[in-house]
Amino acid sequence: MNKNIYRSRKISNTVGLTLSMGAMLLGMTALIWILFILFSKGFAALSLDFFLNSTPAPGSVGGGLSNAIVGSLMMVGLCTFVSTPIGVLAGIFLAEYGDRSKIASITRFVTDIMLSAPSIVIGLFVYAIYVAQVKHFSGFAGTLALSLIAVPVVLKTTENMLRLVPSTLREAAYALGTPKWKVSFSIILRSAKSGVITGILLAIARVSGETAPLLFTALNNQFFSADMNKPMSNLPVVIYQFALSPYENWVNLAWGGALIITLTVLGLNVLARVFFREKS
Amino acid sequence: MLETANVKNAIEVKNLDFYYGKFKGLKSINLNIAENKVTAFIGPSGCGKSTLLRTFNRMYDLYPGQRAEGQINLYGEDILDPKLDLNLLRSKVGMIFQKPTPFPMTIYDNIAFGVKLYENLSKVDMDERVEWALNKAALWNEVKDKLNQSGLSLSGGQQQRLCIARGVAVKPTVLLLDEPTSALDPISTGKVEELVHELKKDYTVAIVTHNMQQAARISDYTAFMYLGELIEFNDTKQIFLKPDREETEDYITGRFG
Amino acid sequence: MENMMSETDVSKGIKLSPEMSKIIRKQRLQDFIFHKVTLTFASLVLVVLAGIIISLIITSWPTFAKYGPGFFFRNEWDVVNSEFGGLDSIYGTLVTAFIALLIAVPVSFGISVFLTEMCPSWLKRPLGTAVELLAAVPSIIYGMFGLFVFAPVFGEYVQPFLTSTLGQLPVIGILFKGAPNGIGLLTAALILAFMIIPFITSVMRDVFEIVPPVLKEAAYGIGCTTWEVVTRVVLPYTRTGVVGGIMLGLGRALGETMAVTFVIGNAHRISPSLFSPGSSIASTLANEFGEAEPGLHYSSLFALGLTLFIITLFVLALAKWMLINMEKNQGSKN
Repeated sequence: MNKNIYRSRKISNTVGLTLSMGAMLLGMTALIWILFILFSKGFAALSLDFFLNSTPAPGSVGGGLSNAIVGSLMMVGLCTFVSTPIGVLAGIFLAEYGDRSKIASITRFVTDIMLSAPSIVIGLFVYAIYVAQVKHFSGFAGTLALSLIAVPVVLKTTENMLRLVPSTLREAAYALGTPKWKVSFSIILRSAKSGVITGILLAIARVSGETAPLLFTALNNQFFSADMNKPMSNLPVVIYQFALSPYENWVNLAWGGALIITLTVLGLNVLARVFFREKS
Repeated sequence: MLETANVKNAIEVKNLDFYYGKFKGLKSINLNIAENKVTAFIGPSGCGKSTLLRTFNRMYDLYPGQRAEGQINLYGEDILDPKLDLNLLRSKVGMIFQKPTPFPMTIYDNIAFGVKLYENLSKVDMDERVEWALNKAALWNEVKDKLNQSGLSLSGGQQQRLCIARGVAVKPTVLLLDEPTSALDPISTGKVEELVHELKKDYTVAIVTHNMQQAARISDYTAFMYLGELIEFNDTKQIFLKPDREETEDYITGRFG
Repeated sequence: MENMMSETDVSKGIKLSPEMSKIIRKQRLQDFIFHKVTLTFASLVLVVLAGIIISLIITSWPTFAKYGPGFFFRNEWDVVNSEFGGLDSIYGTLVTAFIALLIAVPVSFGISVFLTEMCPSWLKRPLGTAVELLAAVPSIIYGMFGLFVFAPVFGEYVQPFLTSTLGQLPVIGILFKGAPNGIGLLTAALILAFMIIPFITSVMRDVFEIVPPVLKEAAYGIGCTTWEVVTRVVLPYTRTGVVGGIMLGLGRALGETMAVTFVIGNAHRISPSLFSPGSSIASTLANEFGEAEPGLHYSSLFALGLTLFIITLFVLALAKWMLINMEKNQGSKN
């Protein structure tokens, strides 16, 4: 055995693995650093006022993020309500007719495009076709933008989950003389239920944290408003505006909002994971 | 060739060819499935026996690229007619698969599912039908107290009998069994074989099996297939004791398999 | 031997009875509606994409009518005098994304190697979950972290260090000279890297796990070191998934708004130094869209949006093309 070759191989191995370990430590350090900052500054900003008061005017003290929280809840909620049926039904189309239909393969390709489209471009689009036409910002516009982001996510996971259902189950249903729509809903969809719900939860988690699509659609509202046809306050845009401002209480509120969003998104992800594991 | 003078045929296959794309899976099949009898299909892997079985309920229609040419008559009507409603056909010709496939619902709903498709029964009548079907499948006593549990909570053998109950509940004319016991333990296999014996009183049964002894045990007629062709078709006793063709004899005596 | 059809045969066979006819007709109608409804919803996605492209083109038309494709190469952004060019924003987008990728890919690779080959099994699940959860953190968090925590530290310690070391080298030195503000192109690239590392890591780790243990065991069996197993067996086997993941990460980095806007500095210029402030397409849009008057400013912002969309489309198409080619090669090798 050539000792030199062996030694150089050993060195490469040690170097490579040490660097990998280093990368891991770097990653862990960054993670811990980010989370530590977020939690410490965020929790410092939380109080009863935080949840009960609306956003304060520039320069005034105190205040909270109640209008932003409610606005976000409303828009994300409406978005879920709208994008779930569209995404699931479209996903069913791809799973049931996907092998025979030209439209299905094109749709699949387009869904991939929509999934990687920058969310700010989605915001621009909704502005151009809706906000500019009705000449005002609104919660509806914001919901529309969020839905355009959520639908492809739901569509893709639904199709994938439906395709995972074993073909023998499908055949057994057809063998009884079941019409196609019933095979799809009562057997296949039911079988894949937990996976599809997981996809929906992940889509909600994704849109909860999106800022860019709301910048030009829902904009923001300084006051408490539940009118979705007017500009609507929401957490991400408020955080954006407040963080970049010179006012200390605004910056603090921004950290609080950032913590709330992060906890929500992480919570939904964990829920989706646990739910999926339980049911499968 | 088989004497069919006194026997009524449920299914008559005439010059059937089957294609997987360009590959010819079945070549010029001609045979009759007798009413209220058990017809077994045996042969080595890839001989086409499952393919043939799946033409009887046009299951291949689910897959683009697979097609059948020829004629298959079910009580005189050609089921290869493209205008035929497939759901109607499948309500008359049921199929049980190799792998047990309970639906993701309660045991009761599993049975009721197929019945609800074509019959409008009252709750009382449906309860009766469910009990009747489960009895036919020799499963009633084991599940009568847990009808509301998921079908997936049963053991493998029980699940397969559930599928059989589901199949008979819709009162089809013909039952197609595609290797129904190959995924089961010996005890469950024995139970299912007893069932087949009972079932033929009311239904025409066609069964594909890779287990020759099973075919010898439970069938009235046996068809031996090889490389997509029907080599020999006769009374089961004839096939196993005094086969006409050399290939049949070679297969049965285990010279190839 | 002809079969005689009797009365009972009607119910045994497939001749239609009146009740059956009704049921069959109802089923046909239900299936028809099912097909049309699901088809409609699937087509909605196509309609939306077409709509996006068309509306972007229409609203950005005034800018392209004035400058033509030269818009992409003009380095000018003068709101007051209504002269616009996309070069500085495009430059910022591309530079930050590529540097982010340059850093993120090796780091993600290292973390994935650790998670799959070196990690003690009791630690695997929690660490893996931590990586996936990090990938879900909204990007605005990274932006805030970048601005309030990272930038000051970066400006105080790291930037002067880089200037005194790498900044003294010929050729590349110019990249690292400049006022240590903490914010700028390099900061933005680093924050972007932070953001896409968890994402690329989780993709890499997923594909690394799918490698059949027999392949790795065979390599170990002939005396390969861990590093050799990873680079010569695991990586080639998974390269389709790895490339796919990297391209997805690139797509995200190019389109990212919040992580970048906080720290890029928002200056419309191109300088050789990475420390200098700059702009990306997304940050320009985020900063200026709110106040844009209808006119050339407005249409130029949309022109930038269209540009970004085309860039991400191109990256996606490139990724798909690379993946198809890889699958072809892999097929012939096997």
